[in-house]
Amino acid sequence: MEELLKWKEQMRSTKKNRITDKITQHIFLGTALLSASFIFIVVGIIFVQGIRPFVTDNQGLGSVNLWSFLTGDVWLIGATFASNLYSVGFIIVSTLFIALLSLLVSFPIGVLTALFIAKVAPKPLAKILRTVIETLAAIPSIVYGLFGAGIILQVVYDVSALFGYQSKGGNSIISVVLVLALMTIPTITAISEVAIRSVDKTIEHGSLALGASNTQTNFKVVLASAKSGIFTAAILGIGRTLGEATAVSLVAGGRRAGISFDIFDTTSTLTTIMLEGLKETTGLDYDIRFSVGLVLMAVILLTNLLLNSVKKRVGSVHVR
Amino acid sequence: MFDNLKKRKLSDGFMQALTYLSSTVSLVTLLLIFGFIISKGSSFLNLNLITENYESQGFVADLYAGYELCDCNASGEYLEDGFYSKKWGIALVDSTDLLGKNVVEVLYVHQDSPFQQLHDKGIGTDPIKMKTDYDIIRIAFESHATALSRHGAAQMIEYLNANDSIREIEFQTAGGGIKGSLITTLYLIGLTLLFALPIGVGAAIYLNEYAKPTKSTKIIRSLIETLTGVPSIIYGLMGLAIFVPLTVSLTNATGGNIISGAMTLAVILLPIIIRTTEESLKVVPDEYRQASLALGASKTQTTFQVVLPSAIPGIMTATLLAIGRIVGESAALVFAIGTAIKDDITLTGKSTSLAVHIWAMMTDEPANIELSATIAIIIVLITILLNIIIKIISTRYLKRKLGSAYE
Amino acid sequence: MSSCLVDGVFNVEGLNLYYGDTHALKNVHLPIGKNQVTALIGPSGCGKSTFLRTLNRMNDLIPSCRVEGSICYRGENIYESHVDVFDLRRKVGMVFQKPNPFPMSIFDNIAYGPRCQGVKDKKVLQEIVKNALIDAALYDEVKDRLKENALSLSGGQQQRLCIARAIAMAPEVILMDEPTSALDPIATAKIEDLIIELKKEYTIVIVTHNMQQALRISDMTAFFLLGELLEFSETEQLFTHPKNPKTEAYVTGRFG
Repeated sequence: MEELLKWKEQMRSTKKNRITDKITQHIFLGTALLSASFIFIVVGIIFVQGIRPFVTDNQGLGSVNLWSFLTGDVWLIGATFASNLYSVGFIIVSTLFIALLSLLVSFPIGVLTALFIAKVAPKPLAKILRTVIETLAAIPSIVYGLFGAGIILQVVYDVSALFGYQSKGGNSIISVVLVLALMTIPTITAISEVAIRSVDKTIEHGSLALGASNTQTNFKVVLASAKSGIFTAAILGIGRTLGEATAVSLVAGGRRAGISFDIFDTTSTLTTIMLEGLKETTGLDYDIRFSVGLVLMAVILLTNLLLNSVKKRVGSVHVR
Repeated sequence: MFDNLKKRKLSDGFMQALTYLSSTVSLVTLLLIFGFIISKGSSFLNLNLITENYESQGFVADLYAGYELCDCNASGEYLEDGFYSKKWGIALVDSTDLLGKNVVEVLYVHQDSPFQQLHDKGIGTDPIKMKTDYDIIRIAFESHATALSRHGAAQMIEYLNANDSIREIEFQTAGGGIKGSLITTLYLIGLTLLFALPIGVGAAIYLNEYAKPTKSTKIIRSLIETLTGVPSIIYGLMGLAIFVPLTVSLTNATGGNIISGAMTLAVILLPIIIRTTEESLKVVPDEYRQASLALGASKTQTTFQVVLPSAIPGIMTATLLAIGRIVGESAALVFAIGTAIKDDITLTGKSTSLAVHIWAMMTDEPANIELSATIAIIIVLITILLNIIIKIISTRYLKRKLGSAYE
Repeated sequence: MSSCLVDGVFNVEGLNLYYGDTHALKNVHLPIGKNQVTALIGPSGCGKSTFLRTLNRMNDLIPSCRVEGSICYRGENIYESHVDVFDLRRKVGMVFQKPNPFPMSIFDNIAYGPRCQGVKDKKVLQEIVKNALIDAALYDEVKDRLKENALSLSGGQQQRLCIARAIAMAPEVILMDEPTSALDPIATAKIEDLIIELKKEYTIVIVTHNMQQALRISDMTAFFLLGELLEFSETEQLFTHPKNPKTEAYVTGRFG
């Protein structure tokens, strides 16, 4: 009798176990689905909010024309709160221009640093540099922005003065480019280093066995073999460049009309225009920031698609 | 055909020099950043900074009837650093406050000084006590020119010595402290982890322990991974559009607040937490799971009692990474919590984090680079400390793993 | 320079090699003759690949590696400090176990070595590439797609490309480290034919696991066991009348 009771209890506990198993599994599934759903929430809400200025009459101001919004070269014609003539065409161009320039600075420096750490430097030095890179990568962007506002602006101002320029306190395209480049170098270095170190040793030996020097091997064979990983580093770098906001806003100076490729000129990017005057604004001037956000997401998406297709072409191998 | 040895060596040397040069850039950048924030910010770095309010509080007061001049001596150091009035028992010094303005600061108040008890001419009824670090704005006398702070501490002491009574004294607490933003940042860390850890760890457990390698699992994984590519300013907009209205309707908040900020940060951190946790779950050997199941433990028991404890270093790393990101995040919080620098912090009231505190001060006119640099020192110290702890955890963990693998 | 005798191309005298504390090669004496194929055989870990790599100093890449004794090449001990190792590797080419073409075009793969030596003239490079490909019996198969990525070739073609790459440097010696172990029988046969052809112009040292291959292509064979050179003689001799019983046991397949 006692025996039977024990068994029964155990049976029940197995059954209970099975139920708790089911419940926990569903709770975990729920957290996973919730996590995955946030991308739809983010994209959806920016889309819904961003599209609003184009489809509603914005409390009497009239709807914003999508085409002129995307192509115009004046941020706002007319007075704030009294006009619906917003456009970001010139800002899209300057954003891409800045991203390209900063990549031109950070990419070679980042890749060469990675090569140095992975192949050239003596071990203790490589270790120190790796720590330096990790530390730089951990420093928040706002600190880079502060550094830019405190040092780079001053340097740019002095240098531009040498060329006979009167830059607006150093706030300029070049300052933004430098701040962004310094911020992306650690990212590019870290990823490139991994790619360089995972290059097959036999390929390296193949080059050395042909009498190539270590340096020739590093530059001609190792970098070529790590191409795909290095390209990924560049893609991530450019993503960070396009999306960075607060640091850039401290050195851009703000430009409300006209495309300028003069590196000592003030500028605006899609992110800085979203932050500009944020503290005191409402209505359309406020809602339009979501539209800029939508444009920013589109720009990042398109850039990524473009670069990934380039990467496929560059890194592709026609295996038979 | 191959007689270019010298040329080759030259070009080799040149290319090698290029790599050296490039590496110098990073090193110099780090040194410059450190040098900059330390040289600009270290002078403010003291305990007052983190205990003090940002807004200074002003007082207007006069002396109680029947006060006594003290004629008391003070130790030499107050005479060296500042100016001391023996008659009034107070030492003053010229100084710069946390907001960068020139002020006359109280260096020392003797215990018998008449300034120990002042009569508040404002709304307050309690006697006020003059304290070290207060800034004196002006002292008006009965029949003498008023001593103003902009004329310096020396003149103020001179005027004090020339008079036996004062008509009115205006002074303020130091201000410029970051207590409020620091508390907000701490609240943000706590709340964000409260939101993000259970969801993130749960999702990681599902993906690694329960999900079968089907197409839908792959989709879930890549959707979560896509979150990392979204710039934080976009998250800020999302927080502004969803979480701010949500908290406003549920609580007594009127705008961006700590809760809406924490929710936004939680979304940003989810992919990081999920990935780090999953990586640590992956290295838990399958034998552990099988052994537990073979002993008749249920899947839930196995997960909570065998798998999760082994993954704790990974979850800790995820937590530390998350804290680093919270402390450094600015763009998202500008939208999701706002830029109002406050001293009295409530979960639903306006306030801002340390990083946004910097941004808010730097976008003000005039920008306060000194205090910003001081906050930057604190933020950088925190991130470096977190990095070191993460390194220690991962090497310890790795050692243990390797150790057990060799046994 | 002083006591460097040369019978053939290489003359190895009292060679000892250590990896840290491990004594990997023990007192090896071995002459390598000009325009001959010398096969190095022996069970795995016997030191034959290590020995091969001492001949062009590829062992320098292993930090813990230490070499004693002398290897004479062109009247000079190649382990003397003033020897330019890159110059040595140019004259002593190497083909590896696994085909390891660089991730670039077929043309660039072969032009790589000469370019590293500063050859820039396009016409000269085209000539070098063409001749190397012809010598490596690959020209007809790839002449129309020299611009294609080398990784698009089949395994056997890749290995012949690696041989062509070595030939393009106009070496005197080609070292081959089990060049056919990753290839199928047909590709292997092609490489073996090629080796016999190449013998006319180059001296070849080949490490192989395949007894039959050694028998088919080599003139001289060296048998290594546990870091020692147990026997070295003409291939016919070594396989039919081995002097050492251990050699006999190995070549007849009793261990290995």
